[in-house]
Amino acid sequence: MNAPSTFLRSAAVLVAALTCAHAADAQFPTAPGREVTQKVCGSCHGAEVTVSKGKTRQQWAEVITSMVAKGAKATGEEFAQVLDYLAKNLPPQNNAAATAGRPARQPSAGPMDVHIVDTAGADRGKSIYVAECVTCHGQKARGKEDTADLVRSVVVLHDRYGNTIGPFFAKGHPMQSGRPSAGLTTIQVADLSHFLHQRVADTLRSGPYSKVLNVLTGDAKAGASYFSGAGKCSTCHSPTRDLAGVGAKYDPPALQQRFLFPRAVGFARGGGVVQTKPVTVTVTLPSGPPITGVLDKIDDFNVSLRDAEGQYRSYERTPEMKIEKQDPYAAHNELLELYTDKNIHDVVAYLATLK
Amino acid sequence: MLTRFVVLAAAASALIAQTLDPAKLLLPPTDSWPTYNGDYSGRRFSTLSKINSSNVNSLSLGWVYRINAGGAIKATPLVVDGVMYFTVPDHVWAIDARTGREIWSYTWQSKGGEHIGNRGVGIYGKWLYFETPDCNLVSLNLSDGKERWHKTICDLDQMYFGSVAPVVMKNHVIVGVSGDDLDIPGYLESRDPETGELQWHWSVLPKPGEPGSETWPNAEAMAHGGGMTWVPSTYDPELNLLYLGTGNPQPVIAGKARKGDNLYTESIVALDVDTGKMKWHFQSSPHDTHDWDAVQTPVLFDGEIKGEKRKLLAQASRNGFFFVLDRTTGKNLVTKEFVKTNWTKGIDAKGQPIPNPAKEPQIDGALVTPNQAGAANWPPPSFSPQTGLFYINASRGFSVYYIFDDDDKPEGWGGNDRGGYSESMLQAIDYKTGKIAWSHKWEGSGIRSGVLSTAGNLVFAADPANNLVALDAKLGRPLWHVNLGNAMSNGPITYELDGKQYLVVGAGDTMFGFVMNTK
Repeated sequence: MNAPSTFLRSAAVLVAALTCAHAADAQFPTAPGREVTQKVCGSCHGAEVTVSKGKTRQQWAEVITSMVAKGAKATGEEFAQVLDYLAKNLPPQNNAAATAGRPARQPSAGPMDVHIVDTAGADRGKSIYVAECVTCHGQKARGKEDTADLVRSVVVLHDRYGNTIGPFFAKGHPMQSGRPSAGLTTIQVADLSHFLHQRVADTLRSGPYSKVLNVLTGDAKAGASYFSGAGKCSTCHSPTRDLAGVGAKYDPPALQQRFLFPRAVGFARGGGVVQTKPVTVTVTLPSGPPITGVLDKIDDFNVSLRDAEGQYRSYERTPEMKIEKQDPYAAHNELLELYTDKNIHDVVAYLATLK
Repeated sequence: MLTRFVVLAAAASALIAQTLDPAKLLLPPTDSWPTYNGDYSGRRFSTLSKINSSNVNSLSLGWVYRINAGGAIKATPLVVDGVMYFTVPDHVWAIDARTGREIWSYTWQSKGGEHIGNRGVGIYGKWLYFETPDCNLVSLNLSDGKERWHKTICDLDQMYFGSVAPVVMKNHVIVGVSGDDLDIPGYLESRDPETGELQWHWSVLPKPGEPGSETWPNAEAMAHGGGMTWVPSTYDPELNLLYLGTGNPQPVIAGKARKGDNLYTESIVALDVDTGKMKWHFQSSPHDTHDWDAVQTPVLFDGEIKGEKRKLLAQASRNGFFFVLDRTTGKNLVTKEFVKTNWTKGIDAKGQPIPNPAKEPQIDGALVTPNQAGAANWPPPSFSPQTGLFYINASRGFSVYYIFDDDDKPEGWGGNDRGGYSESMLQAIDYKTGKIAWSHKWEGSGIRSGVLSTAGNLVFAADPANNLVALDAKLGRPLWHVNLGNAMSNGPITYELDGKQYLVVGAGDTMFGFVMNTK
């Protein structure tokens, strides 16, 4: 007899959703790391784009990696703080939280009065769907040649807890069992609604399927020969020294990202942020000895560094000044022009064997 | 007597102030910036020269205005009768263009939608127009910011949202839509400036049987094929044509179920401004699978190519290619990379890049340049008729594109790119050949700033280190800079009031007004 209580719960959630703070006023939760997160993420989009989502540490790591490709800028240390902050303060929101009045998922796009999926309801809805709908509309509800794609259906997207699909069924729609669709109870319609909205949510970028499927498609042997041959990786690296165990340290997608983009933010298995090697810089003034240190900031006009003693030094750039940068990853950047995709997949396959 | 005098003076100034005569939009702006790109051409070139390459070192900070609301200022401000108008999502401000002091502000009560950015307002007569993330076109009274009406222009449940600055052309308010989460059709609309009612609706996607439908595998893919209209159009009043760059096809990354060129996504199209009928099209990125919207401003200017004087249109597209077209006919004249790319198999007879299927996203990843951020993005470029150079703040990035959804009918995005390496540079492109006349490489990477060029032989752009930089327009040499503490987040504008030339940029939550005090 849990069906009526589900209905009440749905209604309660609906009310909660309608009264929740609106998207424009969304704020990052107050906690350590808030400022850096605001700075890194907030420079391109409002807080609600981020705070509307709850994710695992691994999922947040994926989000950060994809944001780098879209232009997110921060130091490795800052990205590590952002990841910590997001993982701690915006974890996946479970159904218990939803029933307590918090949305299980509120995408940044779409309306604030979003349909909040009740997973138990969606599970029951799935049984109805399999019994009555799946033959025509398909396992993922994406429709077939002559049947409607329910994920893209405006009737479904406009629906909240059955309020548009209910009237649709009441008018009569063929079902697999041959029963009249008008006979579906209000609860059954609400459960189907939960199931369909869950399919829509799964389609979104924030959905559970937004992850790399399989990058282990290469030939490890060919990867080994590229490593010590054309790729010249063995000039700097050794499978038994610095790269020993690298296949265990990183999952394959991270492994692929690491050697292609060593400077970009990266995450080990378990979500630890990879420490990158800094760029060093040597500044030589017209008078005085060269000063070498870890590059802090450089633009057309100024350069700053921390010298061997950890002292911060800053200079205005002049034509008389000599500046030499040393990026330990320079060779990796040059390789981006040279790799074929086959080289890349072979090298990943090879590195994955170094466990 | 005194009181009466004050009242009369106020009434008189109310009559002349804060009204935009649409005829003013046909002239190069000097004491105003009356539409998104300053004028209809999209050149973002100012004839003002009180700030110039010999005195730019004396440019001073005149005022600062902080919005005290979340989000970055991506709007290009408009200036009419000494008042500046700009937005962030759900908010509009009117500030004094001489002092930065607030005159009024307006807040829209939102019902949701993506709040990623708002590109600003459009102005017609005594009224202002802007779009909201929750799919409304709102008209405000220019003088006091009071709402006049609002009209729904898209469906929030389908995850559309509003972000583009409306552009007023004749008695048409041109509005576009955004939204990339679900597979939905893009469109451009013309609305009545008095009532907000629909005048015409142009669908980016053809209907079955119409020209262009042959570039889609079936009606389902075509009806859900995307093509958002999120950057303001340009306009040639003589030809009565508006020029629009359209956004990416959908599903965004996984293109398996939309084989074909996918017209008219990622295209430059010329529409009759009175009817919305398409006159010609050119596709910048046939069958894109990298989220490379071709919405970058179609910049209009007249010039000579191979000895022939023509009305031209140029675009530096997100996919890394620079195109010059004859804007009367749409005929391609120049196609050339403005950064090196790796995703094509060549150029076809129409001047369009031919995508290399091997560089479409793959389950195990394909290394692609540009990355998703693009060689260029929405920030507006500039063209100077004085130098004949097209200026674009460009990026050369690499990332790996993956397919996440290996279904035969993927939906939504179905994939994404990851990670990356990138470098940034200001490119000055010779429009006659597409060759890079000069390139100023910035230290660091990651740049999202618009560009302004002026008759003072100057180009204003941002570098990746939060500097606003003035460069010599002919030589590309930096002449002046100021660190704004935040990345410049919009396109710079300039105007002259009381004999003083101003330069205004937005960076994060702050608008900066610079002024040349020496006359």
